[in-house]
Amino acid sequence: MSDFSSTARSLNNGVRRDPRNEWIARNRLHPLHDSVMSARQGEVRGPSGLLRKNPHIIGFIGPNGIKRIDRANLSSTELNSKKRTSEAQETLLPLHIVENPDGYIMVVADMVGGRLTRHDKDILGLAHQLATEKAAVAVVLVCFGENKETQFDLAGVDRLIHLAGQEFNGFAPEARLAALEQIETQFYPDYWLFPDSVNGGADLASRLAARLGERPATQAWQVNGTQTICRGASSSVDISRATPRILMLLEECADAIDRTRHQVLPLALDVNVNTKQRLFDQGQIAVDSNAVPLAEAEFILSAGNGIHNWDQFHAAAAALGATEGASRVAVDDGFMPRSRQVGASGTWVTARVYVAVGISGAIQHMQGIGQCDKVVAINTDAGCDMVKRADLAVIADSEEILAELTRLAQQHASLASLEEKSDAA
Amino acid sequence: MQPNVNVISLVSVGRHPQSGRARRAEQDGRAVELGLKLAGKNLTVVHAGNPQEPVLRQYAGMGLSSLTVLEQAQGCDALPALVSFLTENSVNIVLTGVRSENGESSGMLPYLLADQLNWPLVPRVADIVSVSAESAEVLLALPRGQRRSVIVTLPFIASVDNAAQEARQTAFGPGLRADFHVLAMDTVVDEAAHQWKITAAKPRPKRLKVVKAKTAADRMKAATAKPVGSGGKIMKNETPEEKAKAIFDLLLEEKVVR
Amino acid sequence: MMLDWLVPTLISVLLVLAGIGAVRRMNMWRAGQAEKVDMLAGLLAMPKRYLHDLHHVVDRDKYISRTHVATGGGFVLAMVLVVFVHLFGVDSKILAWALLAALVMMFCGALFVYKRRINPPSRLSKGPWMRLPKSLLTFSITFFVLTLPAAGVLPEGFGGWLLTLVLSVLILMSLSEMLFGMTWGGPMKHAFAGALHLAFHRRPERFGGGRSTGLKPVDFGDGVSVKEVLGVAKPTDFKWNQLLGFDACVQCGRCEAVCPAFAAGQPLNPKKLIQDMVVGFAGGTDENYAGSPYPGIDLGHAKGAPNQIITDGLIHPDTLWSCTTCRACVEECPMMIEHVDAIVDMRRFLTLEKGSTPNKGAQVLENIIATDNPNGYAPASRTHWAADQNLPVMKDVKQADVLFWVSDGAFDMRSQRILRAFVKLMKAANVDVAILGDEELDSGDVARRLGDDATFQSLAKRNLATLSTYQFNKIVTTDPHAFHCLKNEYGDFGSDALQNVEVLHHTTFLNRLVKDGLLQLEPFKGGKVTYHDPCYLGRYNGEYEAPRELLASLGIDVAEMERSKFRSRCCGGGGGAPITDIPGERRIADMRMEDVVSTGASMVAVGCQQCTAMLEGVVEPRPVVKDIAEILAGQLIEETH
Ligand SMILES: Cc1cc2nc3c(=O)[nH]c(=O)nc-3n(C[C@H](O)[C@H](O)[C@H](O)COP(=O)(O)OP(=O)(O)OC[C@H]3O[C@@H](n4cnc5c(N)ncnc54)[C@H](O)[C@@H]3O)c2cc1C
Ligand code: SF4
Ligand code: SF4
Repeated sequence: MSDFSSTARSLNNGVRRDPRNEWIARNRLHPLHDSVMSARQGEVRGPSGLLRKNPHIIGFIGPNGIKRIDRANLSSTELNSKKRTSEAQETLLPLHIVENPDGYIMVVADMVGGRLTRHDKDILGLAHQLATEKAAVAVVLVCFGENKETQFDLAGVDRLIHLAGQEFNGFAPEARLAALEQIETQFYPDYWLFPDSVNGGADLASRLAARLGERPATQAWQVNGTQTICRGASSSVDISRATPRILMLLEECADAIDRTRHQVLPLALDVNVNTKQRLFDQGQIAVDSNAVPLAEAEFILSAGNGIHNWDQFHAAAAALGATEGASRVAVDDGFMPRSRQVGASGTWVTARVYVAVGISGAIQHMQGIGQCDKVVAINTDAGCDMVKRADLAVIADSEEILAELTRLAQQHASLASLEEKSDAA
Repeated sequence: MQPNVNVISLVSVGRHPQSGRARRAEQDGRAVELGLKLAGKNLTVVHAGNPQEPVLRQYAGMGLSSLTVLEQAQGCDALPALVSFLTENSVNIVLTGVRSENGESSGMLPYLLADQLNWPLVPRVADIVSVSAESAEVLLALPRGQRRSVIVTLPFIASVDNAAQEARQTAFGPGLRADFHVLAMDTVVDEAAHQWKITAAKPRPKRLKVVKAKTAADRMKAATAKPVGSGGKIMKNETPEEKAKAIFDLLLEEKVVR
Repeated sequence: MMLDWLVPTLISVLLVLAGIGAVRRMNMWRAGQAEKVDMLAGLLAMPKRYLHDLHHVVDRDKYISRTHVATGGGFVLAMVLVVFVHLFGVDSKILAWALLAALVMMFCGALFVYKRRINPPSRLSKGPWMRLPKSLLTFSITFFVLTLPAAGVLPEGFGGWLLTLVLSVLILMSLSEMLFGMTWGGPMKHAFAGALHLAFHRRPERFGGGRSTGLKPVDFGDGVSVKEVLGVAKPTDFKWNQLLGFDACVQCGRCEAVCPAFAAGQPLNPKKLIQDMVVGFAGGTDENYAGSPYPGIDLGHAKGAPNQIITDGLIHPDTLWSCTTCRACVEECPMMIEHVDAIVDMRRFLTLEKGSTPNKGAQVLENIIATDNPNGYAPASRTHWAADQNLPVMKDVKQADVLFWVSDGAFDMRSQRILRAFVKLMKAANVDVAILGDEELDSGDVARRLGDDATFQSLAKRNLATLSTYQFNKIVTTDPHAFHCLKNEYGDFGSDALQNVEVLHHTTFLNRLVKDGLLQLEPFKGGKVTYHDPCYLGRYNGEYEAPRELLASLGIDVAEMERSKFRSRCCGGGGGAPITDIPGERRIADMRMEDVVSTGASMVAVGCQQCTAMLEGVVEPRPVVKDIAEILAGQLIEETH
């Protein structure tokens, strides 16, 4: 849950009492009694403090004794203590107020999936560092398209420019650039800050810099009002230079805001985008997780000599949305195509999570997963090298665990789709 | 294969990540590969810099009969030379890497070219699927192996992502035999860059999970709790359900299952 | 007698036709590239080469060696005498009797050839070769009968014209095979081409017990103009005496029987490869080839011509990339044909001209070029393994008795165990040793076997330049591949860095230390041990004994595998084969491990990090794999101070 700042989290932990809820809970004849009780059972706090739903207790028994699922989530929204966090924080975190700003720092966020990314938040943090060096400067978040973020206030957004128009959706660099140019003329910001990311940040920043004729700092990771340090030459050198007005920043360039709340006041912008369009977004192409090239895959479920039920393995990969990999033995034995082989003589993968099922961890295989972040091993042999390498190792029969994982994944998927619906309602 | 499109791939001198030695740059190699796919033998490959640079032979070894070098001294700005070259030659598609492996590595070059020529730019392409007289369909590389289809009008510039087709092997013999067309260019010294201080990269400390706990109990908990998933947790005697749950939780935490 | 003229005429016509064929055949060879050969010396040495060297190889199969001596010797003698007796009509009883004796000898031999052909093993080619024993028998019988009058056993004119006619037909049949066929591409071609091949062999050093295993360098010209083609693209790009060599093949299939790639079902058969070379320079298709095909590739589709690119239709590149360069075929070939040279020559074209090294090949070569090691590790991390070893570095000490050539095992955790074991032994024996540290570069072995001679030569020259700045008496290495390069291939680059330097494999060196009593070793108490001869130590460098003596010094009685010493089967790790990784039906390493298992050994000793990696890559359970240095280090009695 890194999407929320740690303070917000700890506050959430102090569960607040809801007298009305408690009253209903006591009154067994109250029409909402059942749903309150089930909601309570259904929510358990996991070890990390996360609220976990008990998937088995979905819905409630209606008056006529038939089980109902409250898909519209009508009853729970008010009753749930979950969604009342901001109220609680108001009383605790000091509000950072910028009255009449005489300067602006623009932070153009990636907002992947409509929410601030960790990268975005780091940059908002940096913006505030830069803001303190001047008088009354407001940190303005510029974002495009879909917005699902509910915690702008905690992330350090003093002002917000949200360009929600259809023309900004998807891949729309021309329209977005036009909007940024508008902002430039209307506000002439002190700084333009962008994430130097593959999620569009670097692209938009480069377009703006080229258009404004300003030389930007790229891959910047240490910035103050006068000096900026950037990575260069494939991250092999540091370039120290005067801080320019447009910066593309690396992740962790600053700490995110976590002790103040901010006003999130909307800023008006007269948008009139009428550039000649030369780029036409045809939309994202659905790439099946198993069609993702192995080298690019983020999550790999890899099979070795310890797999005996191949149908089950494929089903598990599909349920988890994982890309399939294999050891050489699995390939040699004809169970997997050669293009799926991971290792010295196969593909060197870069997955963030690599789950090795029934793979002993021969050195040639290990060479291929050297760059993986998290390795999970499922193996019957606790002494094998894969278990030694793994961040999490499970000593068990592969078939047993894969069956259970498939079940969990399916359950999770159906739960997620349920939530999606209730969110929409 | 495509109707009369003039394709130019721009190449630079790369840098091997381990040895730091000059090499054929990853993305530029892919730009040549994509160019060969689009234009075959008619591809023009252009380098702005030193024509004696041996690495250029590695590009030539991809089967180019010739390579154009806009001769420049080191530390010069490649942009003006390239702009004038591109305006003088009728070009439909210019392919570059996303970011050079040497120097500032700002990735600005394609953007500046596009802005000066007033052409559209498609960033991080994985492939160019088709080209017609007026437009082309390109696939953008998105994270996690995802793709987006975009139609762009000709002429345009595309920066080529690492997800594009890998550069073919370079062959020594043809590389040596290729002709170099060396064009003398007016060179502009990159003054701004001369002001910079360049040092070996300092390692960036990994951000610690700073726990700003409000109470002593919280601090205690943070200090003693094992960070999830860090280093060799082995589950042996738990039930299969618990074991699978632990794996699934890790997948959720890493956000690979959503 | 009215048909008196018939026999001499037949003989002379066929001799003339054979002569024409010979000239034609020679012209085919001469279409190859020039190569300097001392012709006269070669021709003079030829009989000895045949009787000694070739026979030595043939003699591994006693049956066929005796048969060949009788048949071949009998035929050559008989043919010479036939010319005197029947063509020139020399009237001499002695000659006639000698001829009869030769023919009897030949007849006996031919009987055995016939017997072998009744139920021939699969490695032998069929087709025209099945006809050969009959022709041999016919020849001997016919001329025997024909010579009887001359010997005075039968009266002149015996049998009248009818018999003469019958004999003439038989003469025609047998002499067509023996003379016409010899130079026009029949099975007897091997005698003609084989004899010349022995005389003009490209590696004359191999005769008289010598060894010549280093590859010949590619000539990159003067650095100004680049040669038209690097490596061998077309049959005519081979040296002329290589073409001649291909023609010498008797299709005995001994090479096929020992080829690990063939056995693993990869698309390579060295015998077929040599035959395809003949198809290439003579032009035609492989329709008439009557032996085993390349596994998985049907016969009859290969077409070749002297000036056609070989890999366009004659040979699939996978065939060339399947070879592990183990030299088992070369070692086994009675005609001393050089398969590995030919294969690498053609690979050079694929890599240097086409840029089509398969699978990981391109990446490995790129890594070697950019980092001087095949896996692309940071060059500055080459000596990390030795951080705790306290080894002097040449840069500091400038001289030492022994230079320890570490090789790329320095980057590999498994190989590092071998390196440490060896260092431990050297320290125990107080060897004055130093390493090159980060100055050492990849030996170039992999680049060269993958056909990239440019990179090999660059590495060799840079390594030699480094070596020439230091003083040492010996170079010792645990890597047989580097050993081979240093010992047999670096000599071609005009450096005196290795003059008066002994290049040794660590087993040889350790064996000396043990013999000199410098290492105190405890007897080995584990289970049964077998020993795997690495190709580049054994066949390439003839070191079979030192490893065995070392094991014996630990009290180990090596349980030999059936295929051992010069017949050792490759582990599959040579020649860049693990990098090009051409699929077959099985893995070579698995087959080798089966050889190990069949001895009942619980441990296999090796002397090569690559063999260790390949054999350990076999799925468990399997015997333990250990380098001899590791085994010795485990038995070392360390002095307590
Ligand atoms: C030159 C070379 C290159 C190579 N390149 C590669 C390469 O690129 N990629 C590669 O993968 N290999 C490569 N190898 C092969 C490698 O050495 C190993 O042989 C191979 O990786 C082993 O595959 P494995 O782990 O699937 O099989 P095994 O080693 O047989 O391991 C099977 C594992 O499954 C476990 N297991 C068995 N049953 C079950 C069960 N029911 N439930 C759970 N676990 C079970 C066992 O405990 C064991 O750990 C290469 C080898 C060589 C020599
Ligand atoms: S060298 Fe070895 S692998 Fe190659 S052809 Fe000869 S026997 Fe076969
Ligand atoms: S190449 Fe040599 S071993 Fe192979 S078939 Fe021919 S003669 Fe026999």
